[in-house]
Amino acid sequence: MKRTPERIEALAAEYVLGSLHGAARRRFERWMMESVRVRQEVWFWEEKLGHLGARIEEEQPPASVWAGIERRLWPREDKSVPAVAANDAPGRWFWPGWSMLATAAALVLAVVLVQQPEPQMDGRLSGAIVKADVSDPLWLVSESSLDRQLKLRPVAATAAQQGKDYELWIVPENGQPLSLGVIPVGGTYQVTLDDEARALLSNSRTLAISLEPVGGSPTGQPTGPILHVAKLYEL
Amino acid sequence: MSDIDSEQDELMGLLMAIAHEDRQAFQRLYQRISGRMFGLCLKLANQRDLAEEAVQDAFVQIWHNASEYHNERGAPLSWMLTIARYRTLDLMRNRKARPTSGDAHLERVADERDGPLDESLRVAGSAELRGCLDELSETQRDSILLSYYRGFTHDELSEALSSPIGTVKSWIRRGLMALKRCLER
Repeated sequence: MKRTPERIEALAAEYVLGSLHGAARRRFERWMMESVRVRQEVWFWEEKLGHLGARIEEEQPPASVWAGIERRLWPREDKSVPAVAANDAPGRWFWPGWSMLATAAALVLAVVLVQQPEPQMDGRLSGAIVKADVSDPLWLVSESSLDRQLKLRPVAATAAQQGKDYELWIVPENGQPLSLGVIPVGGTYQVTLDDEARALLSNSRTLAISLEPVGGSPTGQPTGPILHVAKLYEL
Repeated sequence: MSDIDSEQDELMGLLMAIAHEDRQAFQRLYQRISGRMFGLCLKLANQRDLAEEAVQDAFVQIWHNASEYHNERGAPLSWMLTIARYRTLDLMRNRKARPTSGDAHLERVADERDGPLDESLRVAGSAELRGCLDELSETQRDSILLSYYRGFTHDELSEALSSPIGTVKSWIRRGLMALKRCLER
């Protein structure tokens, strides 16, 4: 599409209003990157329409929002300052996506204990990622501290929607989730845990799967919705 | 100097301090504007958890991008609210987390067209913007305000206003251009 002044003018207004979306929105964002003229047009509308937002009725966000901002910006300090963490009872979720879980009725989460045929003496963790309306587990998970492997075997799991990937995370008791990579479609996914990952997982025993752009989260933290959470059990 | 000007000056000062990684300034900024930001996100998403996430994301972005703010971006408050608004729209669309669907959706919109949208929202905004919005036709103004405050897509607007999608698109397009001509006068 040619970048005529009329088109820039019309699209910039719709971009700021929010009525431009999908491929058209992405294309326009490329135009913005390439041209200061396009950006200025956008700024004009941001400034003008911005006044609409300034007088809306105020509502104070809950304290957890500020706590979450601090955790995301300064995670390392968070660990060393117990006073900050003390606001949160153990077991509470720590990154913003988690708040979705409480109300994500479509994906009711449950945890089942999966019997392993040959329990081992090395402190094996095991569990399943399940979805309420699917009778089989989506994935079976097993971890062996002996060979430091975490295995994810698909049972009823289906591929992510087009243009998306599933990404696996360890959810620590405190701080930011740790990525265990993108789960390939089909076949067992096996990942070797380093010392940090093993320590985090043996403490929290919690895994999560989020929906991310192809190739995984661009930021190193979950950016898409959290689809599943599973607690592992020691066998 | 009006209250609004002095507030914008204060916010500008805070942003400049934040650009130099002043955390106390960042916290003060949060105290100053998070209520307004959350109110806006909540109105848009009609979902508390999504609005909370958008505010959190927006402040993380403000911390990282404070040094990129400049005069051409508009008043500091508009700039920051815009960041939060875009983030809310992204989250809404990524998750397809529409607040309601089907008939309930239409009923809600219909109700609000007689209520908050007509009254409190119609009088929001700067005097200049308000004057120019008043010059638009009612359908143009409604489709623009519903897009702004509710994040409605063309499809949703077409349903809400019981009009073909092409008509709705042209209300928005013509409305916005008329608005611009008026604002530039």
